[in-house]
Amino acid sequence: MTASSAPVVRARGLTMAYGAVGILHGVDLDVHRGEVLALLGPNGAGKTTTVEILEGFRRRSGGEVSVLGSDPERGDDAWRARIGLVLQSWRDHRRWRVAELLTHFAAYYADPRDPAGLLDLVGLTEQAGRQVERLSGGQRRRLDVALGIVGRPELLFLDEPTTGFDPEARHEFHLLVERLAREEGVTVLLTTHDLVEAERLADRIAMLVGGRIRAHGTPAELARGAAARAEVRWTAADGTPRRERTADPSRLVWELHRDAGGPIAGLEVRRPTLEDTYLHMVHRPDDAAAGTEGNTNSEERAA
Amino acid sequence: MTETHPAQDGQRRAVRTPWRAGLLRGGIELRHLLRNPKEMSGHLGNVVVALVVAGLVGDDVPGTRTPMAHLVLAGFAAYLIFQVGLLNLPQMLVTEREEGALLRLRATPGGIHAYLVAKSLLVVVTTVATLAVLLALAALLVDGPLPQGPAGWVTLLWVTMLGLLAVVPLGAAIGAVLPNPREALALIMLPAMALLFTSGAVFPLTSLPVPVQQAASVFPLKWMAQGLRSALLPDSARAAEAAGSWELPMVALVLSAWAVLGFLLAVPLLRRAARRESGSRVAAGIRRAEQSGVPAG
Repeated sequence: MTASSAPVVRARGLTMAYGAVGILHGVDLDVHRGEVLALLGPNGAGKTTTVEILEGFRRRSGGEVSVLGSDPERGDDAWRARIGLVLQSWRDHRRWRVAELLTHFAAYYADPRDPAGLLDLVGLTEQAGRQVERLSGGQRRRLDVALGIVGRPELLFLDEPTTGFDPEARHEFHLLVERLAREEGVTVLLTTHDLVEAERLADRIAMLVGGRIRAHGTPAELARGAAARAEVRWTAADGTPRRERTADPSRLVWELHRDAGGPIAGLEVRRPTLEDTYLHMVHRPDDAAAGTEGNTNSEERAA
Repeated sequence: MTETHPAQDGQRRAVRTPWRAGLLRGGIELRHLLRNPKEMSGHLGNVVVALVVAGLVGDDVPGTRTPMAHLVLAGFAAYLIFQVGLLNLPQMLVTEREEGALLRLRATPGGIHAYLVAKSLLVVVTTVATLAVLLALAALLVDGPLPQGPAGWVTLLWVTMLGLLAVVPLGAAIGAVLPNPREALALIMLPAMALLFTSGAVFPLTSLPVPVQQAASVFPLKWMAQGLRSALLPDSARAAEAAGSWELPMVALVLSAWAVLGFLLAVPLLRRAARRESGSRVAAGIRRAEQSGVPAG
């Protein structure tokens, strides 16, 4: 993992409770500079609460949080200027025209991006003079992205950014996020339900289940940690389909070849997908949760 | 504000002053208002109603030689100020809260400050422009009243400004607590109407039962109307006032008291509303709006 200086986002023992109802039970999270981190988890796991605490929109009950070197609860305007937000539910400023709105929001920052160039970047040049309420859902979201990055943020929060996108718009959006992260070093915290998107964009993934980070690491590390094994399928000599799950598919295939003394019909090795890992994590009982960071787990059972 | 964060790297980005953004924003919102036929007709509709009513009443104010139409026009002028602060403003705030405009400004450096600047500009310009249109058209079409001499203009100015100060913070406080734009209108409209008819705005207060007069004199509209009458009507018309005089010190006192009360309420309530604004709240509000079958706004 990146051994850079201080992480851009750092949470330790973050807790949140509304009255007697606990939402977060000690979240530990690091996001490093220039990294894209995807925060995954089922509804009600505390994703939104976590992100809103990091954005400075909610007061935590306990724990330590530092975002860009400040406690988000005490973030001032200079701190705000370094953060960009793209939320899923914005439908504001409907009467404004696209370019007018973007130009206006550029006025709040000392060194904003050029609005015209930004419209080009998100593919809304043709819609520059259109009223915001006349944009399609995908166009509206791309405008939200443009508004989120007009102040050249160092840290960008993306909340379910591609909900309602068609595949092409989604692809374009992914290229844009990759460009921001790789070329401009923007740190991105992404929450999504789209596991393919998470796998595609994220350097690391953190899974929040039941108010705790159940696991975090690269997708491969997560798969190991979750003990989601690879599946090997083949057709046995008697013609029956066979499948077996293993942590070491290479060895299994080699053994199969050795035993068969030749090619094997219908041989297929299926690596665990992020979805396998995710489902495994979400349904795993609580007690096995502690201390999973990419290290292999020995107590697993093949599904 | 300028405490240094050791963990932060040197290039601390300066933020622009929110005044400039706020004035820009106010200008753009005014332009949108002018281009929006629905909202414009809302503002001008009141002017038309006032002119029609003024054209229809023929008598003099009892006991004076002042036309009743003048009293009605002064009363409507007061009601226009009242409406901008206590009806239009809360509705605007609730709508913008629900759509997420407030959240976006909260996420923007200096955004909330600029929002307040923009709304102040919008409210002042809307009020002054509507009053100017009302008085100008009334003078042209129905022989309406205009201030008598410089003193009258000065009174008109300070009563208008103090009237705004009495209702705008209060309206902001209401806008901060009301649940959503659909309920907001219903909740505010009824009391506003009741006050319009009990505050001596459209017919002399003295014709109403004393308990009603007393109740109405707690609220700012009665005093705004009285102050505007003193600016617009000849001095002889004060014979028809309940106290036999314009009671200008009392007008200033009551309106100031409402202004102070409004600010005391508005500051914490707006802070609380802005603090509570977050993505999940906006999402929940929009879901509710969709369920009730009315598009937000």
